[in-house]
Amino acid sequence: MKTSKYMKTVLLSACSAIGLAAANAAAAEVVVADPDAQVDHSGTLSILTKFGSQQLSPYFADIAEKYQELHPDVSIELIQETDDSVKDKTKTLVATNSLPDIFFTWTGTWGGNFIRGDRAVDLTAVVGPDTEWGRTLTPAALDAFVYNDRNFGVPLYLDAKFMGYNKKIFADLGIEVPESFEELLTACDSIRDAGITPVSLGNKESWPVVHYIGQLVAYNVPTETLKKDFDPATAEYSDPGYIASLRQFDEFRKRCTDGAPNGISYEAAVQAFSDEKSAMYYQEILEFDESATEETTMRPEDFGYFTLPVPEGAKGDPNAIEGAPEGYMVSAASDNIPLAVDFLKFLTSQENGKILSASPYGQPSAVIGGSDEATMNPNVVAGMADIDKASYLMPWLDTVNHPRVAAAWLTSLQSLTSGGMTPEEVMNTVRDAASAADQ
Amino acid sequence: MEAFRQTQGGAASRGGATDMQGPSPARRLFDKLLSLRWVLLAVIIVSGFIYIPIVENFRVSMTNRDIFTGEVSNVGLANYQRLLDDPVVWRALLNNTFYALISIVFQVFCAFILAAIIEGLRSRRARNFWRAVYFIPSAISTTVTGLLFYFIYQPDVGLMDAALSFLGLEQFSHPWLALESTAIFGIIAMSQWQGFGYSTLLFSIAIQKIPRELYDAATMDGAGPVRQLFSITFPMAREMSGLMIIVTITGAFQVFNEVMVMTGGGPSNSSQVLGTWLYQQAFILNDFGYGAAIAAIIFAVTMLTGIAQVWYTRKRRVQL
Repeated sequence: MKTSKYMKTVLLSACSAIGLAAANAAAAEVVVADPDAQVDHSGTLSILTKFGSQQLSPYFADIAEKYQELHPDVSIELIQETDDSVKDKTKTLVATNSLPDIFFTWTGTWGGNFIRGDRAVDLTAVVGPDTEWGRTLTPAALDAFVYNDRNFGVPLYLDAKFMGYNKKIFADLGIEVPESFEELLTACDSIRDAGITPVSLGNKESWPVVHYIGQLVAYNVPTETLKKDFDPATAEYSDPGYIASLRQFDEFRKRCTDGAPNGISYEAAVQAFSDEKSAMYYQEILEFDESATEETTMRPEDFGYFTLPVPEGAKGDPNAIEGAPEGYMVSAASDNIPLAVDFLKFLTSQENGKILSASPYGQPSAVIGGSDEATMNPNVVAGMADIDKASYLMPWLDTVNHPRVAAAWLTSLQSLTSGGMTPEEVMNTVRDAASAADQ
Repeated sequence: MEAFRQTQGGAASRGGATDMQGPSPARRLFDKLLSLRWVLLAVIIVSGFIYIPIVENFRVSMTNRDIFTGEVSNVGLANYQRLLDDPVVWRALLNNTFYALISIVFQVFCAFILAAIIEGLRSRRARNFWRAVYFIPSAISTTVTGLLFYFIYQPDVGLMDAALSFLGLEQFSHPWLALESTAIFGIIAMSQWQGFGYSTLLFSIAIQKIPRELYDAATMDGAGPVRQLFSITFPMAREMSGLMIIVTITGAFQVFNEVMVMTGGGPSNSSQVLGTWLYQQAFILNDFGYGAAIAAIIFAVTMLTGIAQVWYTRKRRVQL
């Protein structure tokens, strides 16, 4: 407690206030991209990415270098953030009215914030489904960035959640890939009996359990009900499928996980899986290339995956997969919108899509034909096929919901994980948050 | 100002009748105003970075703002009303209070006793050695220390569990940061480890300033070390103790880094403190008005603590 944070607290508020004052002036009319605009290949282009990790950061650096080779008068400034830091960074940039020309965004409510504030360029005329560029992108991914019937974003890659497992451990114990949620629980019992942690779970950051619940509610709650509940104005959160999902997770937590997940970080849990200290880990397809590498204890050939199995009697969509595309928007305040659009076209070329999909990045490109199976992790190839087959891409509960509702999910699910709340109490908290968000 | 008066005095001693009468009132006023230029820069900086933001913070706390749309609405004291109804605010306030109380015990009273013991050592080399030993943790960044203790507390693989196991105390093994009942105390314990040596060093300096004659006289009167501690050392170091209590309490209400690094306020908001809840509201939930209201509470608590403690210390000051 040595560090005095007096100044920090005051300055924090001060910066917010000053930033907000600037932000007041930012609200404006919707800026529409002109497909016939002449591109001026000069000046500076600033880009906020979510590829700040050591493994991913070279991707944008290389793309920027290639673009600058083609256009020597263009200077590209990269702001590379990680999955955890990009939200705060973006908000700070919005508050200070200094969004870069191109910025990362999730779909759902998060992306909708930029539309509400008229901070993103309407790209319908350049990347809409009927345009030449739009036809090169996966339709479902492109559609995820549609707000008010207009295209505001360019998808870069697809993401979805799968259960990664260690084939060697499964084979040694004679366990088959579970076909149902109940079989998964039985498999956990067998793995635990062998002295191995069935599933490593780190929930210090609080969103990992939200991802489990997202997939389970997609199985247990009808899709139309879900969509209605995502909007605070129509949300009820009264479907019995929610309670069923939470009970299923509670059973899963007791039989499949060890220790106290709320005290374990996401990275520590991934490491336990890579070190073969656990047999399974629920992860994003984006992470397949990181879980098993030449340097990890688990060999790449021992890595396998399956979709989280469907619980018996589930009344939702058994073919839904939790996941969403992630992509980029162009700032309405950009001085050079045609150049920003031109860079995004370059970024989403087939050639660059193949680089993104291949190792070591392993990010399934949203570009049609933007993957080359010969250079890709076969699990990523298979995962992409599963995403294509999914009847519904269930968005992340913490980005699709109003921030207040998302916070309620995050906090109350930590309590459920530690045994401090019952499923009924969790849903009461979520309902109350949805009601407060509507006021 | 002292140097300025001396210069005037020097001029008067060399001057004639006019100098004997001194400068005119208008001249004196002008000189006084002129002297303010030396503090003007400091006033501008302090106002720009402290006082204006404090006033601005109160203004923001009476509004609701949406950073994405830039919409602002005046809500009066509604955000302060929300504070009263927010259970997490009360939880955070309680955690800050725990933080302050435990820190006063360890970083004021225990650090004072340790400083007295160290300063009582005969060997100068030993005194220097122990001061350095206790001060080293304070030289490490709070974020680094937070991460270090996060790993120490890790269930199963952390040093804490290993140490307990080595001592045959497995029954006390605990997921310290993972449980709602223990998370905040795990953070507070780390904070004591880090801040203890810093306080000890400050008390050592205060004790060094106490005249040795007082101890010699007390020894001749038959007072033992414990009696000397409570009858001489403690009263003579009261000003430093007062200062340390202010610093400790205000620090406890502004704590942020260690909580963010170790638990992020979780699990289930159990380790939230006012600083992290402010951050959560303002920067995660975009509720800047409510965040500013929380900041105002932090300001009020620390300001009142400071005023009360300064008043108490002045009242009880020992004059030599």
